Amino acid sequence: MLSQHLKGNVQFLNSVNSWEEAIKESATPLSKGGNITEKYVDDMIQNVHENGPYIVIVPGIAMPHAQNKDNSVVKTGVSLLKLEEPVAFPEGKEVNLLFTLAAEDTTGHLDLISDLSSLLIEDDVQEKLEKLNSEEEILDLIQTVE
Amino acid sequence: MGSPAKATNESNVVEMNRPTTRARVQAFGGFLTNMVLPNIGAFIAWGLLTALFIPTGWIPNEDLATIVDPAITYLLPLLLAITGGRMVGGQRGAVMGAIGAIGLIVGSDIPMFLGAMVIGPLGGLIIKKFDQAIENKVPAGFEMIVNNFSLGILGFLLMIVSFYFIGPVIESANNFVTSTIEALVATGLLPLLSLINEPAKVLFLNNVIDQGIYYPLGMQAAAETGKSIYFTVASNPGPGLGLLIAFTFFGKKAARRTAPGAMIIHFLGGIHELYFPYVLMKPLTIIGMILGGMTGIAVFSVFDAGLVAGPSPGSIFAYLGLTPKGSFLGIIAGVLASTVVTFIVTSLILKMEKNKDDDDEELTQSVEKSKAMKQQGKQLSNACSENTKKNEDINTVSFACDAGAGSSALGATTFRKKLKKKGIEGLEVKHYRIEDAPDHSDIIVVHKDLKDRAKHAHPNKEVITIENYINDPNLEELLDRLEEQRA
Repeated sequence: MLSQHLKGNVQFLNSVNSWEEAIKESATPLSKGGNITEKYVDDMIQNVHENGPYIVIVPGIAMPHAQNKDNSVVKTGVSLLKLEEPVAFPEGKEVNLLFTLAAEDTTGHLDLISDLSSLLIEDDVQEKLEKLNSEEEILDLIQTVE
Repeated sequence: MGSPAKATNESNVVEMNRPTTRARVQAFGGFLTNMVLPNIGAFIAWGLLTALFIPTGWIPNEDLATIVDPAITYLLPLLLAITGGRMVGGQRGAVMGAIGAIGLIVGSDIPMFLGAMVIGPLGGLIIKKFDQAIENKVPAGFEMIVNNFSLGILGFLLMIVSFYFIGPVIESANNFVTSTIEALVATGLLPLLSLINEPAKVLFLNNVIDQGIYYPLGMQAAAETGKSIYFTVASNPGPGLGLLIAFTFFGKKAARRTAPGAMIIHFLGGIHELYFPYVLMKPLTIIGMILGGMTGIAVFSVFDAGLVAGPSPGSIFAYLGLTPKGSFLGIIAGVLASTVVTFIVTSLILKMEKNKDDDDEELTQSVEKSKAMKQQGKQLSNACSENTKKNEDINTVSFACDAGAGSSALGATTFRKKLKKKGIEGLEVKHYRIEDAPDHSDIIVVHKDLKDRAKHAHPNKEVITIENYINDPNLEELLDRLEEQRA
């Protein structure tokens, strides 16, 4: 599931100037693919402003997301942005992997999340992800846990 | 839900009750800080008021100055007692703490800060123990009346006990301080006075020692020589300044941010009370205060410096205004030297503590071990201060977040996988929007940034906070609890 959804949605960047920019960049494939509207991007950023950087789910990895308000999510989807240089989220949390999640409703995306959880629960998966530099390699790694 | 075996909770409970000494000390330090810090704003408000409006203030105002006394006598100690009571016994604890504190306050004639910091948590503890003892024994329909009258009657007793208890305690403290100071003065080793001065000041005996002992001594000497060192021994604003500078650089979070404001009111306004809470929350820093005070007195003596009258309030401007010709160098040098010494010693103390229990940024893995120790401290502090009841019989764990779709779902899924791995079955683990977490949840798990919201929405639930949705030590601990519960 996760690997299928991520197909064509993986991006690599050297660095970004701010965590806001990181979220915007990471969401571009979803905007282009018609999964989300611009408002959803703003909502994700606003979410961090309001509730703190709790979307940093483990050190180094963030899962930007927000509620689907006013149909800002058209179609469930997920994208990945990998940064060469980590970007600092509030409270000094450094992040270099962003799995950006857009969920139509509160249930439809659960297998995506389940796969993501299987991925992250693996030992040294983070080190492995650090080393991979192409979408193909990353999707292969994800398929091993699905 | 399966039928959970309840039998072997014991081992779990025992483990919670067996923290190391280190964990205890840390938890206690955190406890003091948490009691004082939320109330610093009130200290600043009072400090501003005092610095401005008392007769020797910047813009004396007789009417407004009438607030000064009641505020420091009643408002500030009550706030501390309420916060302390709430930390131990929730809202009922807060009420009980305040009731106990008013007995102390009226029973003594100095501001009862330390007393309030003892009686507040004690009141909370009393009511908590009482509530535990009668839990499930009150006939339905009588809860309200039992709750109100139990608090009322226990509070009434606590009020009387603290009223009669405190008078003699203060009196003996005064006598002890007075006789010790007289003995020290007789030895001629004036710097030793700081050993008594600094702790006594923080306990709000400053007026007793200044106006009761030093100023009379000073006036005798000044009548003969035109100046006296006794006016300076307890009123030197240098050590307090050094302490607050140290907190500004090396303190933690709120303490660090509020220290600069306190500094202005203390050093320029001469309201020494502003630094007291910082010492009360990190009692070890009194060492820095004592050494700084000693340095000041030593330098004043070497230069044979003194003031012509008692500086009140003890601000740097009052100091310079009361310095006679020929003493400026000595006075300024003494204030500076005491500032520097206190700053250095306090910084070392704060840094030492920081290495031990900083919960801010620990990026390196090398501190893994100290993290584990810190965890113990945290657990203890959570257990004794947050009024969370530790659930013995856990059937439902609810992960919650802002939207109830993303991170909570990730946390719940991961947790279910871990449970499965351990072969623990029969638990309901689901994810929700914080406000929608169901009432039958035994435990609510949220990210630490969302803790306040979760506490607010579910005041009576055990809330576990995490920072890592996959591998959080608090989740591991919960897993262990569940494993033992099911064993």
